[in-house]
Amino acid sequence: MSNLSTKIKLYAKANGVNSIDFLSDVKLQDDGSGAYIKEWNLDIAEPTAEQLATYEDEANAEEALNTVYSDRRSEYPNENDCIHALLDGGDTLTDLQAKRQATKLKFPKP
Amino acid sequence: MAITKVTRHNTPAFEAYASAAQSGIADNTATIMAMDTELFDTDSMYDTSAYRFTPTVAGKYFVYGLIYMESSSGTRADRAVVHIYKNGSSYKQVVAMNVADNISSGPSGNVSAVIEFNGSSDYVELYGQLNVHTGTVELDGRTASGNFGAYRIIE
Repeated sequence: MSNLSTKIKLYAKANGVNSIDFLSDVKLQDDGSGAYIKEWNLDIAEPTAEQLATYEDEANAEEALNTVYSDRRSEYPNENDCIHALLDGGDTLTDLQAKRQATKLKFPKP
Repeated sequence: MAITKVTRHNTPAFEAYASAAQSGIADNTATIMAMDTELFDTDSMYDTSAYRFTPTVAGKYFVYGLIYMESSSGTRADRAVVHIYKNGSSYKQVVAMNVADNISSGPSGNVSAVIEFNGSSDYVELYGQLNVHTGTVELDGRTASGNFGAYRIIE
């Protein structure tokens, strides 16, 4: 099951709001019985539970994609290696590109 | 002239911690810390089931809390917040970490405030909130990583 925050982001984006601050725009709370919307301060209407439920599949897909990006990032060459490879060129750059491609293959997008 | 020594205790007072870390917490959601174990509670005013302190002596209290937060998937997170809630709403919040992109570390957040209590219905709770890029949130309030306490400072 996806996070409530992910479904809210998708709902907001579908209604023209591309960025949400979860400390001021929308406040989510869990008092021990699960997450719920404590406060809604966006100009668009607060979604109903039924509306949010329609974003479940899309939210699961987005969270799965984020996991792939996170896994890839943990194994990609670091910035220093990239700079050296770009400056050095040749085999150094080719090796780095191969390592990057191998990481993509190791963590394919869903 | 006789000099009288006055000894004043900062009570009521309590400090509690969690017996276990909380996992599977929703992303970006202020979540109550289950501080279910008392280190001390001078006047039995801390509820270890509701995780709230309701002093029946009016006055100003120093309230404090500490939480360690991390993501379930490799500690990738970008904003961490610790709240003291008074009567069900955030009263004081500290942003313990706020970075533009995900990093590989879990922050500890420490919050404190001087709060006035009416001595009857006012209560405080401790909440943690973490924005993770993947996975779910883990909040750790165990004795080595966290605490929640308060003591009276002014009548």
